[in-house]
Amino acid sequence: MTKKLTVIPDQCSGCRICELVCSIRHFRVNNPKKSAIRVMITYPQPVLRMPIVCSQCKEPPCGQVCPVDALHRNNGVVQLDEKLCISCYKCVEACPFGAMYAHDDCEYPIKCDMCEGDPECVKKCPKGAIRLIPEAALGESKRLANVLSYTQMKEIEYYEKGEKKVIHYAEIGKEKL
Amino acid sequence: MRIKGGYFKKHLHVDLSRGTAERRDLSDNFIERYIGGRGFGAKLVWDNLKKHGFKLDPLGPENLLVIAPGPLTGVYLPSSGKCSFISISPATGLYGDSSAGGGFGVELKQSGIDVLSVDGRASELSIIFIDNKETKILPMPELKGKSCLETEGIIFEKLGIHALAIATIGVAGENGVNFACVNTDWSRNAGRTGIGAIMGSKNLKAIVVRGREDIPVHDIAGQMEEADKAYKYMSEHKYFDLWQQEGLMNVIEYANEKGILPTFNFKDTVYAKHEQINGTVMLDQFKIGDSACFSCSMCCGNICLVKNGKYTGTVTEGPEYESCAMLGSNLGVDNFAAILAANKLCDELGIDTISAGNIVGAIIEGYEQGILSLEDLDGCEISWGDEDAIIELIKKIATRDGIGDILAGGSPRIIEEWPDMDKIILQVKGLEQSAYDSRAAMSMGLSYATSDIGAHHTRAWPIAKEMEEGQGWSDEELIDTVIYHQTLRPLFDMLGVCRLPWIELGLNERHYENFYKYVTGKEVTLEELLELSNDIYDLTRLINKHMGVSRKDDTLPYKVYARPALTGPNAGKVLDPDTFQDILSKYYERRGWDKNGLPPAKAESKFDD
Repeated sequence: MTKKLTVIPDQCSGCRICELVCSIRHFRVNNPKKSAIRVMITYPQPVLRMPIVCSQCKEPPCGQVCPVDALHRNNGVVQLDEKLCISCYKCVEACPFGAMYAHDDCEYPIKCDMCEGDPECVKKCPKGAIRLIPEAALGESKRLANVLSYTQMKEIEYYEKGEKKVIHYAEIGKEKL
Repeated sequence: MRIKGGYFKKHLHVDLSRGTAERRDLSDNFIERYIGGRGFGAKLVWDNLKKHGFKLDPLGPENLLVIAPGPLTGVYLPSSGKCSFISISPATGLYGDSSAGGGFGVELKQSGIDVLSVDGRASELSIIFIDNKETKILPMPELKGKSCLETEGIIFEKLGIHALAIATIGVAGENGVNFACVNTDWSRNAGRTGIGAIMGSKNLKAIVVRGREDIPVHDIAGQMEEADKAYKYMSEHKYFDLWQQEGLMNVIEYANEKGILPTFNFKDTVYAKHEQINGTVMLDQFKIGDSACFSCSMCCGNICLVKNGKYTGTVTEGPEYESCAMLGSNLGVDNFAAILAANKLCDELGIDTISAGNIVGAIIEGYEQGILSLEDLDGCEISWGDEDAIIELIKKIATRDGIGDILAGGSPRIIEEWPDMDKIILQVKGLEQSAYDSRAAMSMGLSYATSDIGAHHTRAWPIAKEMEEGQGWSDEELIDTVIYHQTLRPLFDMLGVCRLPWIELGLNERHYENFYKYVTGKEVTLEELLELSNDIYDLTRLINKHMGVSRKDDTLPYKVYARPALTGPNAGKVLDPDTFQDILSKYYERRGWDKNGLPPAKAESKFDD
């Protein structure tokens, strides 16, 4: 089962702990500018805090532009073969999400390698804004939130063992169009 | 080499008059002695004062502005995004500092320096652009009159880069308002003591930084393990979720319940309509996102949006407790949307919300009592809860329009103009009081009276401890609590970290000796660090002594002795002046200062090197 690194921007507080732990894991340094995940913060319009990280695309644009074929997807992870890489940084420019990074000190582009299946950023995010979820479950939370917002929800109060309770239910198909 | 991490051992000095920027080396001795942040600032300000024979105009080119993160800033450990701004304050004429969270200090440090100092005055409005190891002074006269947010946007556009950290001033700073703040990361402010006015006096609109250096850490494995322990402790604390959700806004309910919430310019300390301005209201109707400082899991910042009514579309980070209390209950404003609008306005103009709330509150009360006439108010009526008039008055302060020109001078100028206002306005040494009443807590009064920057809670906030366990305190216990706060809390400002994990979630301060050890490679005990922090308290007192401070200035606002709160659990309580003087004497003794509150003459030589 392929698991995807997913970000939930609504949850992100912009603390950048993900950046720090990524740089420590991959370069053994405290340097957010050497991480494969970066929190983009825009303010005040729109208000957005969103970690940008590789989506491990099945047809990776980074791999397509690589002149020496150094980027390949194995076991759900697009890996950079540093032996082949010539550091031309075409991949960094090609990524539609801007999810590959460059740093003066680093010989190669910086890219998420999923930490052997157990990403540091997922473990250390204090808000649960970065998650590892099965590919097949992508979009589930959105679907649920959407259903609740566009269906006509009704509520009924009732008593159970003397305690007042409320049940919500949807009258699907009965609303006036 | 004793210090193996935590520092680049570099000091960047910018002389705006000459247009030069120079990177100087910092010795291990200096680093070990002064640690960083406010420690570095106090020492550099002291040296500069000596150079000028202890006579300088806070808004003159000769006043040195120091900006310093600390050895722990930017490192993976709880809340390491703090940066101190230090100078001689235009509000008090004394030592002044203020710290900001966010990520500015981290970026500054990553440009390969431990401290930045700015001297002189640029010939036209300029910015300092520190692009990693290269520093430029760029004239940008087009930024004149721009708000803090506009300034950030224009700079992004001009430089063509988004990934920058910016510390900027608004119109208030340009106009030399004595309580102008410095705005970093859009809305994380170094709020107090008028640092923004100092930048303005130097024709310095903004400091822009882009850094990319590794932050040196001696033992990364040790640091990670210690940090993970600390984060884990915090995440398991019973109030952790509350902090993530409400942030500092949860304090409104606490302060109201305890009877320490400033209400109607501290005439009262409970607010009947507290439920209209508390954290619950914010969560239910206004909050649209969290905002954390660098590496902080508590994310005490809230981003709010007004979705209906006349302030629709107002987006602001905040309010936090102080802003909400000072612009809310203290002015009788029960409309949370209006508080947000006023908070946003202060951020845009670059005005400290605490001083602004105090001053506007005092003006309303002064007018109510007939100390000020309608003519003094330029013919504009103002009363409790009058949102429009309050917002108008804040604007007039920033632009020095009409009465705003007097108010921009802060409490000392107001008292000079209307001497009876001395009994109305709450200030110590010229700095307006924070949003915690002290009439029911002697320890809080002592903290305000003896704080080196004036009536601010940053040095000591013993009020909660006194309310909860201080009933049977002896004078010694009370004094020791204040001094412990005044030693530990500034230590956080020296290390470049936030104190909230400790004060609010009880994170054991012992972690910090370990953080220091792992980051710098130097073994220390917490006690040794505290001793260094205590030395800085002596140093700032010496600075103040040379600027004329002694026992006579360690006072409290008139209301604290003479005007009790009207209702609530602390109704009728005031501090007894004789008891206060007695405690003050014991406090001096405990600190090793003389009866007049001055450190011994020999203390000065400690700071010669």
